[in-house]
Amino acid sequence: MAWVFAAPALLVYVVFLVYPALSSLWFSFTDWDGLSATYNVVGLQNYKDMPHDPVVVQAAINNLIWAVVTVVVPVVLGLTLAVVLNGKVRGKPFLRLIFYTPAVLPLVSVASIWGWLYNPQYGAINAFLRAVGLDSLAQPWLGQDSTALGATMVAAIWLRVGFPMLLYLAALQGISPDLYEAATVDGAGKWQQFWHITMPGLRPAHYVVIALSVIDSFKVFDLIYAMTYGGPGTATQVMGTWMYFNVFQYNQAGYGTAIAVVITLVAVVVSVPYVRSQTKEHAV
Amino acid sequence: MTSVVPTAALPDTIVTTGEKNKPKNQGIGTTIVMVLAALVWISPLVLLVITALRPLSDFVAHGPLSWPGELTVKNFTQAWDIGNFATTYRNSTIVLILKVPLGVFVSAMLAYALAKLRIRFGAAIMYTVFLGLTIPIYITIVPVFVMARSAGITDSLVGLIGPYLAFGIPFEVLVLQSFIRQIPDEIVEAARIDGAGAWRIFLTIVLPLSAPALVTVLILDAVATWNEFLFALILLNSDAHKTIPVGLLNFQGQFSNNSTGLAAGILIAVVPILIAYTFLQRWIVGGLTAGASKG
Repeated sequence: MAWVFAAPALLVYVVFLVYPALSSLWFSFTDWDGLSATYNVVGLQNYKDMPHDPVVVQAAINNLIWAVVTVVVPVVLGLTLAVVLNGKVRGKPFLRLIFYTPAVLPLVSVASIWGWLYNPQYGAINAFLRAVGLDSLAQPWLGQDSTALGATMVAAIWLRVGFPMLLYLAALQGISPDLYEAATVDGAGKWQQFWHITMPGLRPAHYVVIALSVIDSFKVFDLIYAMTYGGPGTATQVMGTWMYFNVFQYNQAGYGTAIAVVITLVAVVVSVPYVRSQTKEHAV
Repeated sequence: MTSVVPTAALPDTIVTTGEKNKPKNQGIGTTIVMVLAALVWISPLVLLVITALRPLSDFVAHGPLSWPGELTVKNFTQAWDIGNFATTYRNSTIVLILKVPLGVFVSAMLAYALAKLRIRFGAAIMYTVFLGLTIPIYITIVPVFVMARSAGITDSLVGLIGPYLAFGIPFEVLVLQSFIRQIPDEIVEAARIDGAGAWRIFLTIVLPLSAPALVTVLILDAVATWNEFLFALILLNSDAHKTIPVGLLNFQGQFSNNSTGLAAGILIAVVPILIAYTFLQRWIVGGLTAGASKG
C-alpha cells in the first residue's frame, strides 16, 4: 500500500531527473553531436580532452572563485545582518523583508537589473562614480575581462544575502537569553559573547547554511547566461554555461555532457555529508 | 518570533554600574545604520521604478540618478506590447496552474509514505530523493531535450511539466515528510482502528493537519516555477510559447539602449512576484527556515 503513495512522485523523479542524469553519463562517453541519429562510443576521450580545453580550465577556475566568493560573502553578511536584527533594532520585519526581496526575483530579471546598472553610458553605477568625482573608476564593468566576473558576483551576492540571514535569524531564536545574561554578569563583552555564545550556538545553522549555499553555487547558470553570455570572450564562462554552448552552439553534445558530469560529480561529492545528515535525521 | 521578551529586559536589570540611561536610546544608532543599509540594498529596485516612470528623453538628458522632470506610463504600455508580455504571462500562469498543485500533491503522497507508512527501503528512497537537491539542471538538459523531441512535445508548455515536477520533488518531500512525521501516531492509529483506509487517513487527517507546510511548499514551489529559466530556454522556441524569464531575456536584448523601456519591462516581469512576496512573506520565511533547519 505504501508503494501506491510513493509511486507517482518516484516515477516522475526517476523519469525526469534520475534517468536523464544517468543518461548524460552515457552520452559523455560518446562523440554524439546532438543531432545525428548515430554516434560512436569514444570511452574517456571527452574527459581526456578537457584539460586541453583552455575554456574548461577557465570555467573550472571561475566556478571555484564563484563558489568561494558567493558563499563566504553572503554567509558573513547574512550572519552580520541576523545578529544585528536580533538585537535592539526598530522595524525588524520591514528590514528583513527588504534584505530578502532580491532572492524571490527571477534570476533573469536580476541579470537584467544589474546589466542595466552596469551599462557603461546610461548605467547608474558609472553615473554615481562620475557624480562623486571618481570619473576614472567609471568603466564598462561587464565588458572587460578584469571586472566582468566580479560584477556578476556582486549581483549574486545581492540576491543571496537574504537566505543565510533568515536561517541565522531563526537559529538565533534558539539560543537561550540566559546565556547572555550570565555572560554579562561575568563581565564578558559583546565581542566575547559573540564568539563564545552566539557562534557555538549557531553551529547547526552554519552547517545547513554553508551546505545549501555551496550546493547552490555549483548550479550557477542563469545569472551568467543572461548577464554576460559567458563573455567578454570567455572571461565569465562557468562549467554550466560552457556545457550549454558546447551542446547547443557547437553541436558537441558528448563533450558538453562530459563537462556537466564533472561539475555535477563535484557538487554531489561535496554535498553527500549534508544529504546523509538529512536522511539520518529523519530515518526511523 | 517576536516574543523574545528578555532581550529588552536584560541590560536594564543587570547592568547597574554607570550606563543607566543608555538602554532607552539604545538601538537608534543601529536602526539608522540598518535603514541606510536597507536603502542601499533596495536602491536598484527604487531606481528601476523611477526610471520606468519617466520619458526616455528626460532620462537621457538628466542621467539615471536625477529626479524625473515629468512622469509617464508610456514605457509600460510600450514594453507590454513589444515584450509580448500578454503571451508570456498567460504561458507562465498555465505552467503554474498545471504544475504546482500536482507537484505538491504527489510530493505529499510520497512524504506520507515515508513518514507514516512502513515502506520498504524508506531510507534509501529518502537518500535518493534528497540527493536530487544537489543535482544541477544542466546535467539533465540533453536527455530531457531528446525525450521531448521523441515525444513530439518540444516547443510546448506540456514538455516543461515533467522536468519541473521532478526538480521540485526533493525540496517538497524534505519539508513535507519532516512535518508529517510530527503528526502523532496515535491520531493515525485511532483512525485506522475506526476502519479508515490509508487514502482516507491521508486525505482527511494528514493533509488537513499539514496545511501550514502545504501552503509554504505551494508558495515556494510557485516562485521557483515562475522563475525557472533553463528548461524553458531549451524546450521552447516560438514566441507564442515562451514563459516570462525567457521572454524577458529576448526583451532585454531588444531594449539594451532604451533604458526607460527596459526598466518598465523588468518591472512588468517582477511586480507580481514582488506583490505576492510582500503578502506571503510570513509563509516563505517560515518554510525556508523549517525546511532547512529541521535537519
